[in-house]
Amino acid sequence: MTDFLVRIHALSVITWSPFVGALLIMFTARRHPLAVRLIATVSVSVSTVLSILAYAAYNRDAAGFQFYEKAPLVEQLGIGYELGVDGISLLMVLLTSIIIFAGVFASWTVATRSQEFYALLLALVTGVYGVFVSLDLFVFFLFYELAVLPMYLLIGIWGSSGDVRPRGIFAWAYRETGVGSKEYAAMKLTLYLLFGSAFILVGIFALYVSAGATSFSFLDLEAASFDPRLQRWVFLAFYVGFGILAGIWPLHTWSPDGHASAPTAVSMLHAGVLMKLGAYGVVRMGMGLLPDAAASLVWLVGGIACINVVYGALSAMAQVDLKYVIAYSSVSHMGLVMLGAATLTEAGLNGSVFQMFAHGVMTGLFFALVGLVYEKAHSRAIFSMGGFGRAMPGIATAFTIGGLSSLGLPATSGFVAELLTFMGAWASAHPWWLVPAVAGTFLTAVYVLRVAKQIFWGPPSPHFSHLEDAKGPEWVAIVVLVAVIVVFGLLPSLALAPVDTATVPLLARILGP
Amino acid sequence: MSPFTLEAGLGVLLLVVFVAGLAARGSDRRWIGWLVLAGVAGLEALAFALSPVEPAPGAIFVQDGLALFAKRLFLAATLVGVLCGLAPAAGPFARRAAEYHLLLLSSLLGMLVLASARDVILLFVAFELMSIPLYVLAGFAKRDGTAVEAALKFFLVGSVSSAVMAYGLSFVYGAARTTALAGVARAASSGDPLLILGLLAALTGFGFKIAAFPFHMWVPDTYEAASTPFVAWLSVAPKAAGFVAIFRVYFEGTGAGAFWGPIVAALAAVTIVAGNLMALPQENAKRLLAYSGIAHIGYMLVGVAAASASGTAMVLFYLVAYVFGNMGAFLVVEAVARAEGSEHLGAFRGLAQRSPLLALAMLLFLLSLGGIPFVAGFWAKLYVFWAAASAGLYWLVLLGAILTVVALFYYLVVARRMYIDAPVHSGRIRLDPALTIAVLLCVLGVVALGLWPKPLVMAALRVAAPLY
Repeated sequence: MTDFLVRIHALSVITWSPFVGALLIMFTARRHPLAVRLIATVSVSVSTVLSILAYAAYNRDAAGFQFYEKAPLVEQLGIGYELGVDGISLLMVLLTSIIIFAGVFASWTVATRSQEFYALLLALVTGVYGVFVSLDLFVFFLFYELAVLPMYLLIGIWGSSGDVRPRGIFAWAYRETGVGSKEYAAMKLTLYLLFGSAFILVGIFALYVSAGATSFSFLDLEAASFDPRLQRWVFLAFYVGFGILAGIWPLHTWSPDGHASAPTAVSMLHAGVLMKLGAYGVVRMGMGLLPDAAASLVWLVGGIACINVVYGALSAMAQVDLKYVIAYSSVSHMGLVMLGAATLTEAGLNGSVFQMFAHGVMTGLFFALVGLVYEKAHSRAIFSMGGFGRAMPGIATAFTIGGLSSLGLPATSGFVAELLTFMGAWASAHPWWLVPAVAGTFLTAVYVLRVAKQIFWGPPSPHFSHLEDAKGPEWVAIVVLVAVIVVFGLLPSLALAPVDTATVPLLARILGP
Repeated sequence: MSPFTLEAGLGVLLLVVFVAGLAARGSDRRWIGWLVLAGVAGLEALAFALSPVEPAPGAIFVQDGLALFAKRLFLAATLVGVLCGLAPAAGPFARRAAEYHLLLLSSLLGMLVLASARDVILLFVAFELMSIPLYVLAGFAKRDGTAVEAALKFFLVGSVSSAVMAYGLSFVYGAARTTALAGVARAASSGDPLLILGLLAALTGFGFKIAAFPFHMWVPDTYEAASTPFVAWLSVAPKAAGFVAIFRVYFEGTGAGAFWGPIVAALAAVTIVAGNLMALPQENAKRLLAYSGIAHIGYMLVGVAAASASGTAMVLFYLVAYVFGNMGAFLVVEAVARAEGSEHLGAFRGLAQRSPLLALAMLLFLLSLGGIPFVAGFWAKLYVFWAAASAGLYWLVLLGAILTVVALFYYLVVARRMYIDAPVHSGRIRLDPALTIAVLLCVLGVVALGLWPKPLVMAALRVAAPLY
């Protein structure tokens, strides 16, 4: 199996299959909505099947980067097309596959300009896959940009505007900039992320130049040793650059606006995968390449993560717009991801990576469900809705399962992730981190249960009639995501075994022998 | 072959156009434009057939790699400029086509000589030969008050800058006792304060010509009022010539890493900041591009500030990317203005639905100008930053990178008008064939350089290496 995957260049196929799908959609499927969707389904299915196979075939004993491919691009500058996955990136590839597979079905009903929608969505997915699998920092950066840019048009054209009523002394500024509109959200998200990428690019160049300007390969840079002072400021550059994408406080404000305005599949992909891409960048490049700086700056990462957890949860409690609740819950959960990584313990780091996966699937499920509710009820205002459980029992059940995973109930994947993170925090040099982390979980229970009760289980709202449950292809998204939550909740070792092979050597590098 | 081949060829073309203008009858003389197009295309082919000539010691007119590289670029820009100037049927452009093209070619002749000049006096004369026709061309629509105002403003600022430059160069001559750049270089190594003063004054003059902040005031008004095909050309070709002259005087003339490095770095920083910030509130597409062009000049100055062979090469690469990206953007503005009768950004509403090709082309140009991967502008910015980082100018790189985000805002605003907003008028936009070909040429340049920059980078590095 492994030989077969290596022979067909599995990682390249996974990465470029959606892109080929996008090109086919652009050039062949003019005005055939069904053909567009079929091409999209086939191209992401190829990626999904191959990533599941790769996940199964990954050699857990050998560890390290596998399914390695390399082709030189610009030899003089040391740029190469170099791909490979270890336990962490493999899990992220699997996550991306699950989310985009569900996302293609969740956006089945996109009506306007669906050809362009699917083409942009698939191009974006290629960028995401590319970031996770590329081992050359330069190529990594190119994929990163590809993952960010289509977002502008996806949100700007197919997004939905929220209902923001400007109040208070800054009302004029709200009106002036159009807060709440999809155009505002799209612009804000794009500029924030490109601002971050400027830091990343400078950081990459600093490492490249100070390592002798011979290679952009992650493996070569990992072997080089950098001056601790340089490490510190490059780490900060990476932390800011990737941290913006991971939604770290106070640079997270693009994420609620962006996720609330984005169309369903884009919210799923963005909250589910792209934010993880930020956390992945901090772990892989920040901690992996700059071990000394990571060891000396974790207090900062962990401290800010604590703020994220509590601040995100409190903000989520205050929202009256359903999509904003989910969006702020992502900010809170990304705090847990960063906190787990900052503990510098095996349990914490495993918990962090597992949380990326668990939260990705969970938030993907949430956004898929919220998209369905919006489509059927044409409302995102929590307090105008009620009693939807009767009309849409399937959606209500799935939402509850997602909610329970979100607050960390046993037998869901969220439980494993949070437990590991807490264990890590307890064992770390800053055990007090446990206090905000646990408080955040408690607050999560408050806002999730409140929303679930109001919308699905409360008394029926008089404003809505003719509601119906999910149907047809929409079920695919829900069933897949719920199944993943439960399966990985019951069998966490499915994910933890490969992840552990990558986190243990990473920690050994940071903490020293 | 003689180093003057291209200039001689252009001179012949000038004479032919002159005679054709005398012989032409009727109010539609646009056929002269086709004649010029064929001539320029021939010269461009000739330029690619030529190879650099090893300059004789003490030569004041050289056909080295840099000169040839620059001449190919000027001719390519002129080719696109002439192509898109063919179409306007009505008004002075049809009737006075000979006049228009004669002026354009005279300015081009100035640029060609400038690229080869290795003597201060020849350099100055070529500079003036390039500049004076530009003033006339800016006010070509002489019955239009705004065009005349723009031309006057351009002329006053331009002539003052020429005067300052001439004054500075006189100091240079006084200190070096020679007008040859090789002699200036020898004198500069002794660090004569008079020479430094002269070179700084000359830098002010060059700053006016390439429109670096704070010498940029003429740019927005001139761009807004002059005819768009001319502005498309004006925004790139003379700027490129200015940079080539800077390389000649400041690298060949003084050697690398001299006193003016920090000054150029500071100039680059303020130009980037000012250009990008002033572009933000613009509502007129040409003014927007004018200010964004100023910012681009700042980015190129970053490469100059690096004061290294790689920095020079990267600026040359940037110039090529800028020629295609910026000219392309102006051409799309022209196409939209012809259809809508307005250069306001509002005219771009819903362009994606009315002309997908034009909108996609504009998006590519904007992304290239914004420095986004897979189009030429990304590599241009990256290489310039790379050179600056190698020279230790990390602060300038960070500043430039952050202000790229500001630039993306106003480029994305245009993208939003085209792709997200609903169109005001319905119906497809009809494109003129010549203009379409010009736009496609620019798209080709932007995309080809974006996907495969390596050959051009290598060529630029080869050209820049002998300057040090």
